[in-house]
Amino acid sequence: MTVPLLELRDVTIALRGSNRRMVTGVGLSVSVGEVFGVVGESGSGKTLLTRTVFGLQDDTYLAGGTVNFAGRTLPLDGYMKAARKLLGGEVGFVPQDPYSSLNPTMRVGEQITEALYLAKRMPMNGTATRQAAIDVLGEVGIPEPELAFRQFPDQFSGGMRQRIVFAIALAQDPKLLIADEPTTALDAITQRRVIELMLDRCRTRGMAVILISHNLELLRQSVDRLAVLYGGQLHNIAETAAIGHHTIHPYTEALFDCIPSKGKTLEDIRAIRGEPAGAGFGLKGCAFASRCRYAEPICVESDLPLNSAAQNGFTACLLGRGAPQ
Amino acid sequence: MSAPLVMLQDVAKSFGRRLLVQNRSFTLSGINITVNRGEVVGILGESGSGKSTVANIITRLTSYDAGSYVYDGRDVSGYLKSESFGFKSKVQIVFQDPYGSLNPRATVADSIGEGIKLHQPQLGKTEREARVRQLLDEVGLPPDCGDRYPHEFSGGQRQRIAIARALAVEPELLVCDEPLSSLDVSIQAQVLELFVKLIRERHLTIVFISHDVNVVRLICDRVYVMHEGRIVEEGRAHDVLTHPQNEYTERLLAAVY
Amino acid sequence: MRTLWTYARSNIERTALIVAALVILMALFGGFLAPFDPLKIDFRSKILPPSPEHWLGTDGSGRDVLSRLLVGAQMTLASTAVVLVVVATFGCAVGIFSALVGGAVDNMLMRLADVWLGFPPLILALGFAAALGASLEAAIWALIFSWWPNYARLTRMVTVDILSRKFIASADALGVGTGAKIFRYILPNAFDVLIVQVTLDISAIMLAISGLSFIGVGAQIPLPEWGAMIADGRSYVANGWWIVLAPGLMIFLTAFSFNIIGDMLRRELDPTSRRR
Repeated sequence: MTVPLLELRDVTIALRGSNRRMVTGVGLSVSVGEVFGVVGESGSGKTLLTRTVFGLQDDTYLAGGTVNFAGRTLPLDGYMKAARKLLGGEVGFVPQDPYSSLNPTMRVGEQITEALYLAKRMPMNGTATRQAAIDVLGEVGIPEPELAFRQFPDQFSGGMRQRIVFAIALAQDPKLLIADEPTTALDAITQRRVIELMLDRCRTRGMAVILISHNLELLRQSVDRLAVLYGGQLHNIAETAAIGHHTIHPYTEALFDCIPSKGKTLEDIRAIRGEPAGAGFGLKGCAFASRCRYAEPICVESDLPLNSAAQNGFTACLLGRGAPQ
Repeated sequence: MSAPLVMLQDVAKSFGRRLLVQNRSFTLSGINITVNRGEVVGILGESGSGKSTVANIITRLTSYDAGSYVYDGRDVSGYLKSESFGFKSKVQIVFQDPYGSLNPRATVADSIGEGIKLHQPQLGKTEREARVRQLLDEVGLPPDCGDRYPHEFSGGQRQRIAIARALAVEPELLVCDEPLSSLDVSIQAQVLELFVKLIRERHLTIVFISHDVNVVRLICDRVYVMHEGRIVEEGRAHDVLTHPQNEYTERLLAAVY
Repeated sequence: MRTLWTYARSNIERTALIVAALVILMALFGGFLAPFDPLKIDFRSKILPPSPEHWLGTDGSGRDVLSRLLVGAQMTLASTAVVLVVVATFGCAVGIFSALVGGAVDNMLMRLADVWLGFPPLILALGFAAALGASLEAAIWALIFSWWPNYARLTRMVTVDILSRKFIASADALGVGTGAKIFRYILPNAFDVLIVQVTLDISAIMLAISGLSFIGVGAQIPLPEWGAMIADGRSYVANGWWIVLAPGLMIFLTAFSFNIIGDMLRRELDPTSRRR
């Protein structure tokens, strides 16, 4: 049994100041080289969770649980500092907005050589560094990488900028890449190209990926396994192949049923009534119960089960729906 | 077969300044769009394709530089001021952003009732209030929430309020500019269901602007595909979206998840 | 009023609100509460230190300082209010008009406002004083003259921002008239920004009026306008410190309080921080 690359056990995220628990009791594991998806609507806590676990969020902190990376446990005390050390080295991050994640006053090439310096201690002005930067620009599909090296971000379109952001992360050769809604701001054709490029490059390098999105269909076609968050709770970890076919978790099923994807007719779409729960629901009862078509009294009264053992397949459904086959 | 409700012929509009979105200047040209009564016509395109401009032209919120626009048999550019006002009770619009489309300082009832006050001034206060409650109920909101302000409602609810406001003047044509795009996934289906219900019950004619191929496929009878200011393909929605003839449409359909 | 109190988050802010309220009460009722005639000269009682009879003492001409302070509140604040009301109304009207009309007219009006702001208010005040005779009226006119472009520019900027929002397009689509657009859409949404500016300007204009009176261009001695009181009491600083301290302290406290309140309003009314 190999050690997973990333393991979360009973992770709870709280807000600084009010100490309000926004995400409670999340357990999951990502293996080396695995492509793992995280899906949730706004308020599900998916961004809060990933950003806090990797030390990117100032106003939240790890209130409980364990985070293991490559076999090492990150200390709860001084967690942010330890998590930040991973960034730019073993963990790469591709943020959501390509328009503001690049420094507009720095040339593209410089931003990559800077990343190379921070990750691998390569001298920023060295020839080898420069060549490595040009190589990675080519790898992400930027035409004329030598020219691009000298250009500024605003000379590129949104899709190209997202590739540059990806190039910066790639250059650092991380073991794990976190991509938080990397293509939401892009049009459909560019979106597909960028996602496929990212997954292809990562698979070639044996890099694990956590792809976060609100688009279930995108994840269904891109990742092998995904975690489903709702109301700050982890509801389901499932193989994407199961979605739409086997009995799955009620929320995952409801989410799948309400999206208008190819091949569905109007009658196939079943909207979920009610409003999405915000993060911070806590563990008492299932956050989705008020909107779930199978809900029973136990769903509101009992504590939600946790994936404390960070199993690969998991269902939090109190009625047992979606249990791994 | 009666005359089409909307007929845009060879409409063009040029923009002097560069559009921020795609960082290049922009020209709308050769726009030929027909909308018949009772139809749901989709305008499909990415951001920067010009679809929102077309929506604004149809609603007469923006002018055009060339071509003609005939509404219900009359040339719209020849409209007198009074006819322009009358036009507004026939064509209404729902926008994409539920957070910006309602006046934050007006109550929900005021926002919805405003159109009634303007276009049906003969109705007294009680009748108007009754109509507002009816509309709220029709869009799936509690009829007595009229005293509250927009910020007390969620995105999906605000979008319903915006729809009620547009319906208050009993329009013939409803233009919807990306009405679902800013909503959460599970709410999109709810509002989509509302649209389906309204189409069925009110026999509304709708122009539905969207970048979402799947939604357009589901509710539109015919569709125009736009790219960079031009219409690249048109036809029955089912045909265009399953057997596209144009290369751009093909690429778009292949890319969509 | 209750909402204002709930906005306050620190003791300084609560104190500022209390002080401001007291000053406003002073301005409204000061005349009735004054124990002595603020203008009555009595050389036998000159430069008396604070005592049970004269709570704040008397000045160089034997006038009761407290009474002058109370009536002076009226003068200082009333003139500030007059300036603000005229400047805000006129400036906002110009700003909204400019934003609505747009194009070359908008451009010209704003450039005019920019140039106008270049006039040094002090020189203007001297000019008005020369023309009308140095008086409180002259000071008021000078300030009105030099301050309105601030509101024109601010209102124009806020209005342009409001006009770009989709609920305005929705109003256009409904056929809402310009009058209704201004009073139901633009002004209510501009209110927050404007109220903050007005509050902050209370202290600025008050200081300007007092300052002009102090140098002799505004209210003339023996009027108990606070700035004039300080000018009057300048020569007695050594043996009659209360003559200068009372009005000086009042100017300071009032300006400071309204500044704190303005900052508090800005924090509370900023739409990006408002709880949804």
